[in-house]
Amino acid sequence: MPDSTYILPAYVLLGLPFFAFLILWLAGKNLNKLAGWAGALITATGLFVSIKYADPGMLHVVHFNWLTIGSTSIDLPFRFDTLSFVMLIVVHFVALLVQIYSTAYMHGDKNLHRYFAFIQLFLFSMIGIVLSGSLLVMYIFWELVGLSSYLLIGFWYFKPRAVWAAQKAFVLNRIGDAAFLTGILMLFYYIGSTDFEVLALEVNHLDTGILTAIGLCLFGGCMGKSAQFPLSGWLPDAMEGPTPVSALIHAATMVAAGIFLLARIAFLLTIDAQLVILIIGTITMLIGAFKAMTAWDIKRVLAYSTMSQLGLMVIAVGFGSWQTALFHLVTHAFFKAGLFLSAGSVIHAVMPSHADESFDPQDMRTMGGLRKALPITFLCFSICAAALAGLPFFSGFLSKDAIITEGFLWASNFGLFGYLFPVLVIFSAGLTAYYMNRQIWLVFFGDQRFNASPNVHPHESPIAMWLPMGVLSALSIFFWFSFNPFNASGWFLHFIGVNEAAHLSWVPIIASATTFLAIFLAYRQMKAPDPFGVNGSKTAPETEKLSWLRDYSQEHYFIIPFSFITNYLMRIEKRIVDRFVDLVAKSSVVFAHVISWVDRTFVDGGVHLTVFSIRSAGQAVRSAQNGKIQSYFIVTAMGVFLLILWLVVM
Amino acid sequence: MIDHILSLLIAFPLLGAVAVAVWPSQRPENFRLIALSALILEFLTAISLYFIFDKQNGGYQLGEVSDWITLPIGSLGIISIDYALAVDGISLPLVLLAVVVLFVGVISSWNMGQKTRAYFSLYLLLTGSVIGCFLAQDLFLFYLFFEFMLLPMYFLIGLWGGPRREYAALKFFIYTFLGSLLILIVMIGLYLSVIDPLETAKVVGILGSEDMIHPDLIPQIQQWLIDGKIAPEQLVHTFRFAYLADLGNYIPGSLLSASAGYFIADIPIRLLAFWFLFIGFAVKLPVFPVHTWLPDAHVEAPTPISVVLAGILLKIGGYGFIRIVDGFFPAEALYSTIPLAILGMISIVYGGFNALGQHDLKKMIAYSSVSHMGFVLLGIAAFTAEGINGAIYQMVSHGVLSAMLFLLAGVIYDRTHDRRIEHYRGLIQVMPQYTIITGIAFFASLGLPGFSGFVGELFTLMGAFQSNLLPVWIPAFSTIGIILAAAYFLWTYQRMFFGSFWYKNGPTHILTDLTVREKGMLFPLVLLTILLGILPGLLFDISGPTVQAWVDGLK
Repeated sequence: MPDSTYILPAYVLLGLPFFAFLILWLAGKNLNKLAGWAGALITATGLFVSIKYADPGMLHVVHFNWLTIGSTSIDLPFRFDTLSFVMLIVVHFVALLVQIYSTAYMHGDKNLHRYFAFIQLFLFSMIGIVLSGSLLVMYIFWELVGLSSYLLIGFWYFKPRAVWAAQKAFVLNRIGDAAFLTGILMLFYYIGSTDFEVLALEVNHLDTGILTAIGLCLFGGCMGKSAQFPLSGWLPDAMEGPTPVSALIHAATMVAAGIFLLARIAFLLTIDAQLVILIIGTITMLIGAFKAMTAWDIKRVLAYSTMSQLGLMVIAVGFGSWQTALFHLVTHAFFKAGLFLSAGSVIHAVMPSHADESFDPQDMRTMGGLRKALPITFLCFSICAAALAGLPFFSGFLSKDAIITEGFLWASNFGLFGYLFPVLVIFSAGLTAYYMNRQIWLVFFGDQRFNASPNVHPHESPIAMWLPMGVLSALSIFFWFSFNPFNASGWFLHFIGVNEAAHLSWVPIIASATTFLAIFLAYRQMKAPDPFGVNGSKTAPETEKLSWLRDYSQEHYFIIPFSFITNYLMRIEKRIVDRFVDLVAKSSVVFAHVISWVDRTFVDGGVHLTVFSIRSAGQAVRSAQNGKIQSYFIVTAMGVFLLILWLVVM
Repeated sequence: MIDHILSLLIAFPLLGAVAVAVWPSQRPENFRLIALSALILEFLTAISLYFIFDKQNGGYQLGEVSDWITLPIGSLGIISIDYALAVDGISLPLVLLAVVVLFVGVISSWNMGQKTRAYFSLYLLLTGSVIGCFLAQDLFLFYLFFEFMLLPMYFLIGLWGGPRREYAALKFFIYTFLGSLLILIVMIGLYLSVIDPLETAKVVGILGSEDMIHPDLIPQIQQWLIDGKIAPEQLVHTFRFAYLADLGNYIPGSLLSASAGYFIADIPIRLLAFWFLFIGFAVKLPVFPVHTWLPDAHVEAPTPISVVLAGILLKIGGYGFIRIVDGFFPAEALYSTIPLAILGMISIVYGGFNALGQHDLKKMIAYSSVSHMGFVLLGIAAFTAEGINGAIYQMVSHGVLSAMLFLLAGVIYDRTHDRRIEHYRGLIQVMPQYTIITGIAFFASLGLPGFSGFVGELFTLMGAFQSNLLPVWIPAFSTIGIILAAAYFLWTYQRMFFGSFWYKNGPTHILTDLTVREKGMLFPLVLLTILLGILPGLLFDISGPTVQAWVDGLK
């Protein structure tokens, strides 16, 4: 198909959600009933268009002219290729399911039209990122994704924690975005374009050091959006938003944008940049995994787990294999969205029928034994959890296996120290298996602790909720990605361009062994007298306070340094700058006085004009204390006069 | 009419000012109707100017020149001051901005209760002076308008302002007046050094009438000047921008002649003159450390005056940098570009941090202005087409956005007379429309793509990155400003608008949503910021050719 045929889909894919956003937002509450299904219909159309225009293996670019200034002409290119095709399918598909789910989950909310409008705005921006053909276009949509995330996290604007979390997410993202923008502008300076095609051709002419700097700046954007250390603090807090939003944005799509960015720019990452990326990814993966093991909030466990998995994808890019990162991105999008939707179903089920302040429907310590009341949810949750934990026959096993294999291949080139990374990945996979077991046990097995509130009556969710969950868990099975459950290099990796995927036959064995060991350890905990410390006091465990990533209550990770600088600078402003300038102003009046004195004493006051000037200057200084404007006028006018005199005489 | 369209732009408000001052009736409604009709005429004229203007042409257009003062003063030559107006791609965007903002300002002044005659008279005087500043092509004329702006501004703050208005007005006056004093000093030096070659040719007698002008004439006169063939009393001294910008017109051995190379305390006198001019305009822009008048003036000024102050007056500083400081002293400007960019960078970051620490809504916005105008300085210091275009764009964008922000601050102040951010919570519950418009203004100001603020910041930063004169770390460090902008705007938004509704003092029923008049002021500005954000070509098409010619001329 020629490039020009792609103008229409570019308009449709971006235009539909944008106009849906405008209409739903402006239409007001009248559309509350219809909004969800209208949104789902539009997303389904988008999905259909993406599939219809799919042309895998080929590249189509559509250019829109934006502006020309100076020597810089700025086009807005949009790009259709295999990578954008995969992302389009994932984004549309998950969004479709989430919107169907939301019609039931958010039922009765009085601002439903706004909720679905914001979801459409998010889709508009996310599709923009996916289709962008240059980094500048990507940055534009990148920021808009930040906006929609802000609006959706803070959707329940009357909850202070939600609004705070929304703002925290936006500001932490902005830190990464500033670096991202710097990288983009450096590319404009050194190459003159951020078009991916141009970059691919020109990038070899650049000095390696500069290229490393650019790569790391661009990685800054990924650190914000994909919640990499140290900008990761916003992701757990973002769980204050509605649960379907967490599934769509903070598990499947938006947080994956950073990985998508890395996949797009993988060709310009130098060895040094890759190493830094690898280290950051590893730190994030481990922190996320450890935090997930101690959290009690059902959604926070999943959020930390998302962080950890994003770290894993970043590691894959660090190993130089963006394809496996994308592979994990896709499998993760399905099973993590499935987990969030199932968690939403659990929260929905244990929500007290009457408001009960003392009961937190998201706290796993007041759940337990829910598998009987929620059989479908239990099944879906378990399948997705198995995929996340990397059990054989599930999708997560394949993608993790692919990354670990790449890791060992990378390490064999790098040297002994390099083996640390794949080993840590396997270790973290073990942690994942452990905390998922813990979560399943806490939620679905053991005693029914939800009796803490008399108003809780668990019940299975309606079909609009369990159907999307079921679809997502079905997609977490291995055969959608590779027909051999023990060989990751199935059709999917071939599809995204890996022709000769490496396969080390011992990797699946080691990985599975670690997973099963972790499950065994978790099983021993379950049989312990106080499993996972669930019966302990409800105060936060000590480790949480000491951790690097502060929670809502300890909101001082970035705020302390910032507020320190702010207070300091305000003091400078008051005590020094303001006073200094005042001093200059006052001293010039004094100076005029001195000059006039000199004039009077030395120049001899014979000339009438001079006498006049002295007198007025003297009066001016005296009346300056009263703040009379005229006196300033006269003083300065006299000063000017003397200056003219001096210039003329010279 | 078309030949004198620029004069009309200045004349309408000034005539309006006179009309308001002498109108026989005492009814306050009449004064504001006169002011409104003057601004409507002004608006229509500006619109036609936009369509008459030839966008392809990078030079001055629609020029009007007539002799104003000609005075022989013996051995000091002949004083020649012209009434010269013209518009080009640098001034046109700012003229259009000024008209829009001043128009909104009049509507915002609608319920100005006391002394309406004086108020609207001064307001129209201010309007005429502002427009005059952007159109003047003679330094004397420019300076006249520049000073004329101060006087109404002083009274508008000092008489109609808040509790500490006298202090603020005086501070404003001292700062800007000392600034203009520095400009005046350089102006005198320039005047003594520069001649008008054509007028001189007439006096010398080699040019009989205007139609005998040929391209070799000016070089010939300039050569004579160098050879000393013209007697001092025959030299016609001038203030015209075009002649001040050409080093060939400087009298050899005069104070500011580049060839003479005088020094004061080991500093070349031209460099000193450059810095004097710079400081003069830096006060207006404002640039760290001479910005401290701005927060006080804004806090005390009544809403419409804050709007005009932030919306246009600051832009005269930026305009002066491009047209006068860099225009007359290009070599010195190129030499000083790193300190200029660093000052811009400090303004951006310093203003941002100070905005983060404010409790007063207007002060927060005022410091955010310092930060945003820092981008203007950074863009100008880059000396690239992208940077200068970006700076002009940023000025227009900030003009629209700061006008919006101060109007929004005015909305809440009108209702409660309380601007403290912590005194409000959950305003979304009682003022939903106000919340949405404020959200748009905040997000536009923090540089969200799709709004004008993003384009301005992007291109000033891009220009600074592309400049060969600046090290990369200056613009890279300046990006902290966009992080801070997100922090202070969103923090304010969260504190004032979200959560459950609460107001510290007094009755809460006075917190009503936007009135029709307020919406009428805010909606056009919202549309403008979105329009400029999506189609930045609207502005770049005007400024592009002129700036390109300007940048090429530097080389």
